[in-house]
Amino acid sequence: MAYAELIKKSQWFRNQLFEMVVSKGKGHIPSGFSCSEILIALYYGGILRFDPKNPEDPGRDRFIMSKGHAAASLYPILADLGYFAEEELECYTQVDAMLGMYADIRIPGIESISGSLGHGLGLGSGMALAARHDGSDHRIFIMLGDGECYEGSVWESAYFAPHHKLDNLVVIVDRNQLCIMGRTDDLLHQGDLAEKWRSFGWEAVTVDGHSYQSLFTGLECIGKTEGKPLAIIANTLKGKGISFMEGANLWHNRMPDKEQAEQARRELATNCITS
Amino acid sequence: MRDIFIEEAYRVALENRNLYFLSADFGAKALDDFREDLPNNFVFAGIAEQNMVDLSAGLALSGKQVICYAMAPFITTRCYEQTKCVIASMNLPVTFVSVGVGLGYDHSALTHFTPEDLAIMRAQNGIEVLTPCDEESALAITRLSLEKPAFRYLRLERKPQPPIYNGRFTPAVLEKGFCELDTGKGLCILSCGYLTHKALRAKTSLSEKGMDVGVIDLFRIKPMNGTELAKTLEKYSAILTVEEQLLEGGFGGAVAEVMVDNGVIKPMRRLGLHDGFEVVNGDRDYLHNLYGVDTPQIVAAAEELL
Repeated sequence: MAYAELIKKSQWFRNQLFEMVVSKGKGHIPSGFSCSEILIALYYGGILRFDPKNPEDPGRDRFIMSKGHAAASLYPILADLGYFAEEELECYTQVDAMLGMYADIRIPGIESISGSLGHGLGLGSGMALAARHDGSDHRIFIMLGDGECYEGSVWESAYFAPHHKLDNLVVIVDRNQLCIMGRTDDLLHQGDLAEKWRSFGWEAVTVDGHSYQSLFTGLECIGKTEGKPLAIIANTLKGKGISFMEGANLWHNRMPDKEQAEQARRELATNCITS
Repeated sequence: MRDIFIEEAYRVALENRNLYFLSADFGAKALDDFREDLPNNFVFAGIAEQNMVDLSAGLALSGKQVICYAMAPFITTRCYEQTKCVIASMNLPVTFVSVGVGLGYDHSALTHFTPEDLAIMRAQNGIEVLTPCDEESALAITRLSLEKPAFRYLRLERKPQPPIYNGRFTPAVLEKGFCELDTGKGLCILSCGYLTHKALRAKTSLSEKGMDVGVIDLFRIKPMNGTELAKTLEKYSAILTVEEQLLEGGFGGAVAEVMVDNGVIKPMRRLGLHDGFEVVNGDRDYLHNLYGVDTPQIVAAAEELL
């Protein structure tokens, strides 16, 4: 898909996710909006190799949404790609529905349960090791939040992949600089995250997570890291596309009232992504 | 007992390269052959139990058979959240091998004790919890774990234990989940693992005094075979449980739950660690005496109950 189409997809995605979440009053809009372009680049930009008709294909790439509060962001994409019927989106979080606020492996296209932070990297490293031993060329992609990087388990696992030269493993850090209680650098300074990953033996690049041109300069490093796993630090804006949610920590899981929802819809009628 | 498991896992892995053995920097001489001959199948996770369990989930989701191996205190409390979120929540067939349970690391004191591992691990959703008491039962439980992978927690002793079963740990016993080692009609002493040896010694003393005592080795705490256990306990007049756990949520509590659920109401007493127990230096027998779970105290409690 060309950049122009990816950019259009960004606007489609934000509207889809917004309506799905707001219609049921459950979910995390800003976390999904900070990683929108990353997800679209992976699923529509020719990066992930997958077959919605055969979600268990052993040769498929695996994507793990380790920042599990954004896992519901995958639902509009997976439905659009044909993993399940679009009608499932209308049942989101309803009694006995397949799609819950947090994802799990009963859902076609979802590779792991998520919701508690700090599990995806270790889990993905196990998958990457298994792929290596099985002689399979599929890759493992893991989306971490920057707030998630406070979890010690992330750094326990960060040791592992470089030692085993798992260059089939890609971490993307959604660096929106916000967690529930405020800005990360005000609460507990995180410093240069790319440098931290490099110091553990990873190849690391920093990109603009809302620019496809920039994102693809990072994604093009996949497979060219000579035995090193790759960490892509994507600078993003939490809530990107709805002005009153942008960079506002209190909107983490808050729902807009009627007036705010109308304002959000007016803003989402214009695409916030330009490159 | 630990070596029984490792040697059997090595034997199986030589034929089954799908079997992965993960360690959080916990070795054993018996593990050296495994590490040397099967370097791909042995995975050093770091002194990083959280990473070990997350790795095991990724391997299991990739179709691998996985064993997580560490000292009892660290494979339980240190990574409890990982066990809950990525193993129990997806019901993955990972075997947790826990070495030195209860007061097994006697001289290492509180950081290395696991007076709560039964309470917390049996609370994991979908887990099977097994505690062998001798090498024969350890081998049978090991083979079960290797042949029929499931989410299991194996509670092993560091050192070999003297024989108890002597050929009696049959497939039927394994299936049943407990064994009435000595039959009686008066008091029944229930225990598992290391303390089953003390329960049997107490039974000998009590028999010499003319008392009618039975002993049950309840090696599968979860799922407990409540129906069969209730039938067996029905004939006894009183119940005594013995454990190296805090009484809150421990072995005796698990037995009491099953008795109540199955309508077995008997005089009962639980011997175990009491809240606020004093931490001192000493070997396991000294600690058993201090905490009231050694053989003379089991005998005294039995006499009171009868």
